[in-house]
Amino acid sequence: MASMNTVLFISFLLFSAGVAGVLVRRNALVILMCVELMLNAANLNLVAFARHAGTVAGQAFALLVMGLAAAEVAIGLALVVALYRRKDTIQVDQINLLRG
Amino acid sequence: MVETFLAFIGRNLFLVFGLMAVGGALALVFSKNAVHSVVGFLFSMLSVAGCYLCMSAEFLAVAQLLVYAGGIVVLFLFVVMLVEMTKFKEKGLFQSQTPYALVAVAIGAAAIVGVFVSTWFTKSADVALTLDPGLARGLDVAKENSQAVSRGLFAGYLLPFEILSVILLVALVGAVTLAKKERV
Repeated sequence: MASMNTVLFISFLLFSAGVAGVLVRRNALVILMCVELMLNAANLNLVAFARHAGTVAGQAFALLVMGLAAAEVAIGLALVVALYRRKDTIQVDQINLLRG
Repeated sequence: MVETFLAFIGRNLFLVFGLMAVGGALALVFSKNAVHSVVGFLFSMLSVAGCYLCMSAEFLAVAQLLVYAGGIVVLFLFVVMLVEMTKFKEKGLFQSQTPYALVAVAIGAAAIVGVFVSTWFTKSADVALTLDPGLARGLDVAKENSQAVSRGLFAGYLLPFEILSVILLVALVGAVTLAKKERV
């Protein structure tokens, strides 16, 4: 059985990969996937702590987070499609309508 | 030789799945083709489901498989196919502020790694993730996982669950409205 630190370390690696992807990539689709990655890292932590404490609350919360992630993906992909229709691009650095 | 290797793998199954997930995540971030990114994402999500299995959260593992591998990855693939990547010029894979971003991530990662290094060799780090029967209050979370999760969800956290269903409805309507062609 894995120790607590192993779980936390794996989750930390996943989260930092997600943060790096959000900050670095230009493609809006890849940025959305990286946000999903960060949510999964948080879920891993929730499950680990729930197991550590012997309660089920963490697993229930992880399930709720999973549903929320699905909703977020639906909205994000709809935004990407709408953006592609209007601007013919999904590169986030070319979308500067609000620049002063 | 092979047996000791297999025994090592069996003892550290969580670590194997976790490293597979991290590998998929790195493939997602650093691959040029968007379809390859989606495949890396899928691999990462499947490995995270394996991690859940190793922590004996079986219901969550199956839910992860259904929601991510069955739903979200397919949605992403649809949009990748819908959006013609060749139509617009990709100026480059990474944004112009990449060096600053990488420095910021490295500083944050170094802080967290410092915490890990300072706690890794202490006594509490060796405590395995096992259930304390005094805390479980009659529920065997590991043995009857789906019963325990459903009781927690529908008895303890009913209001968040219902709010989540409303959020899903709002997201459904919002996605349809956003992606619709003509504005009414």
